[in-house]
Amino acid sequence: MALEKETLLNLYRNIVLIRTFEERVGEMYYEDKLPAFDIAAGPIPGEMHLYSGQEAVAAGVCAHLRPDDPVTSTHRPHGHLIAKGVDLNAMMAEIFGKKTGLCQGKGGHMHLFDPATHFGCGGIVGGGIPHAVGAALAIKKRHEDRVAVSFFGEGAANIGAFHESINLAAVWKLPVVFVVEDNLYAISVPKEASTSVRSNAERGAAYGIPAVQVDGQNAVAVYEAAKEAIDRARRGEGPSLIEAICYRFRGHFEGDAEGYLGADEKSTWKEKDPINILGAQLKEQGWLTDAEAEAIQAEMTRRVAAAETFARESPYPAPEEALENLFA
Amino acid sequence: MSRSVGIIANPASGKDIRRLVAHGSVFDNNEKINIIRRVLLGLDALGIEQVLAMPDISGLARQAAEKANVSFPVALLDMPLKNSAVDSTWAAAMMAEAGVGCIVTLGGDGTNRAVAKGCGYVPLVPISTGTNNAFPVMVEGTLAGLAAAVVAQRIPGVREAGIRLARRLDVYRNGELIDFALVDVVAYAERFVASGAIWDPHKIRTVVLAHPRPGTIGASAIGGYLPQAAVNGKAGMWLELGDGGKRVLAPIAPGLITELSVKSYRTLKVGEQGVITIAPSVLALDGEREIPIKPDQRIEVRLSQNGPHVVDVTAALQAAGQKGVFIRANHI
Ligand SMILES: Cc1ncc(C[n+]2csc(CCOP(=O)(O)OP(=O)(O)O)c2C)c(N)n1
Ligand SMILES: [Mg+2]
Repeated sequence: MALEKETLLNLYRNIVLIRTFEERVGEMYYEDKLPAFDIAAGPIPGEMHLYSGQEAVAAGVCAHLRPDDPVTSTHRPHGHLIAKGVDLNAMMAEIFGKKTGLCQGKGGHMHLFDPATHFGCGGIVGGGIPHAVGAALAIKKRHEDRVAVSFFGEGAANIGAFHESINLAAVWKLPVVFVVEDNLYAISVPKEASTSVRSNAERGAAYGIPAVQVDGQNAVAVYEAAKEAIDRARRGEGPSLIEAICYRFRGHFEGDAEGYLGADEKSTWKEKDPINILGAQLKEQGWLTDAEAEAIQAEMTRRVAAAETFARESPYPAPEEALENLFA
Repeated sequence: MSRSVGIIANPASGKDIRRLVAHGSVFDNNEKINIIRRVLLGLDALGIEQVLAMPDISGLARQAAEKANVSFPVALLDMPLKNSAVDSTWAAAMMAEAGVGCIVTLGGDGTNRAVAKGCGYVPLVPISTGTNNAFPVMVEGTLAGLAAAVVAQRIPGVREAGIRLARRLDVYRNGELIDFALVDVVAYAERFVASGAIWDPHKIRTVVLAHPRPGTIGASAIGGYLPQAAVNGKAGMWLELGDGGKRVLAPIAPGLITELSVKSYRTLKVGEQGVITIAPSVLALDGEREIPIKPDQRIEVRLSQNGPHVVDVTAALQAAGQKGVFIRANHI
């Protein structure tokens, strides 16, 4: 299948939407929290892990997924959920802790659950990986042609759950794709300090499943590899692993002093901004003009602003609802 | 003679999309470290006194040196790392400049292409770290180390018997030399470099071969399996693929044996060239999509004799054996 104009333009639009969403959340997050950082204050209380810089991975993978394909994600989930096609208003409202949010305001930014797009995430590092394998087992038992995808960081690949999950998925030949987003760090810990192998693709080989490494800043490369992995799983040929080498442009969390970064490290990686890379490729083909790129940016800014207005104007859940719809 | 040898190991090789679209296997870096260790022991056994190695983020050479316990220093080149093919080119140039007698490479066709851009006249011992390579060979690290040692030290007769001058396919854009391939150039009917590899037989349009080779995987096999192909080694080959041609079965990737339709083919002698007319497309050099080409560009490919010097491990060791290199004095 050729890499068509419409497909790649959609990829571009998705990446711009995710970036716009993340950067706006990054601004709103600091409202009323400063000068002395008060994590509980402002319209968005609690911790915040943003996805800026890694958008090509979420967009390139989710482009091949249907709404009924289950996806599990992490503490850095916004990009995956937006790429999966969430209702942006309900997502933003959830981040604001509002009653109109995906979880009626009780989950917040790290606990976004969306039955409409079969999406779940959570703050336990590696926690989503066995869930995806469980979903894949259900899919196989029901003889469906859905595919489960789990996104997680290279840090999570050192958690026991990763190894148990990938082993079982291989043994049972389940329709699941493991996407390791290697952004070089788990909080401040570089991969060399935590991982016995250089590449998590090697770990795929250790469990007997196909594993590839791709340039996670290049959306077309991710798109192409993900297509093969997902098609393969849909055909019933079993699990595979994609290791995407990428970089987060913001701190691990908002407020991260980033003392662990090398001198020119971030600026060097910013030269590999996925928006610019894909934008340049599209312009090279004559498929995107500067004016069209600006129009796309304006449209995404409008969509995010609309979600913001919706979230700000929505009510908080009432105190007496605190224990409703909870399970523990 | 030189008692110094270079080692360039690519930490990124062996993990591309051919694991998904074909049946390539992942080549892990711990095994690359083991290979380098055996290379070092081979070099040590024959009196090499210094090894220069390319540094890399995986620390392949450093870790191998720590484990091998050899008598000579393994010096890492002092160079900035880009974590891309440029590192290999740069390292090769620094090694050539430093006067190494031979360079051992670990990687695939792409790694060797990058090294060939910098190594000048220094002969290469290319060890394949993957299953889909046409240029480097699957050879035991120990033997590669021994062969590199006898070549580096210019044992009389060894170079004559054990080194061949490789060919190259030079790529010109609007008359300007922009790149080259060591094995094959393919015009692939796709617009983007994307994940790099080529595997869809319907997108393989023009194939230019430095050597038609029945014994390798990839585009060079297509030429190698045609009747009357110039398999005598003297010439390269130019093939045009498309519907309605002669159907040829060929292994274009590991485990991927597929039919291709060859409309026409001719031999390509050293010094001859042809024009690529498929545009837009992407030129794949040695199996890697590299250069997008547009309809308004004139792309020519010429077969030249400007490739790197390559060591034939068996032939080099055989010649060294004849010279008594492996005969040691009796202990009294
Ligand atoms: C089980 C568990 N251990 C530790 C933490 C604290 N923690 C939160 S994020 C994180 C790092 C995760 O790194 P990685 O998986 O690489 O994802 P990234 O943040 O880089 O996207 C850690 C250790 C946690 N949330 N859960
Ligand atoms: Mg990480």
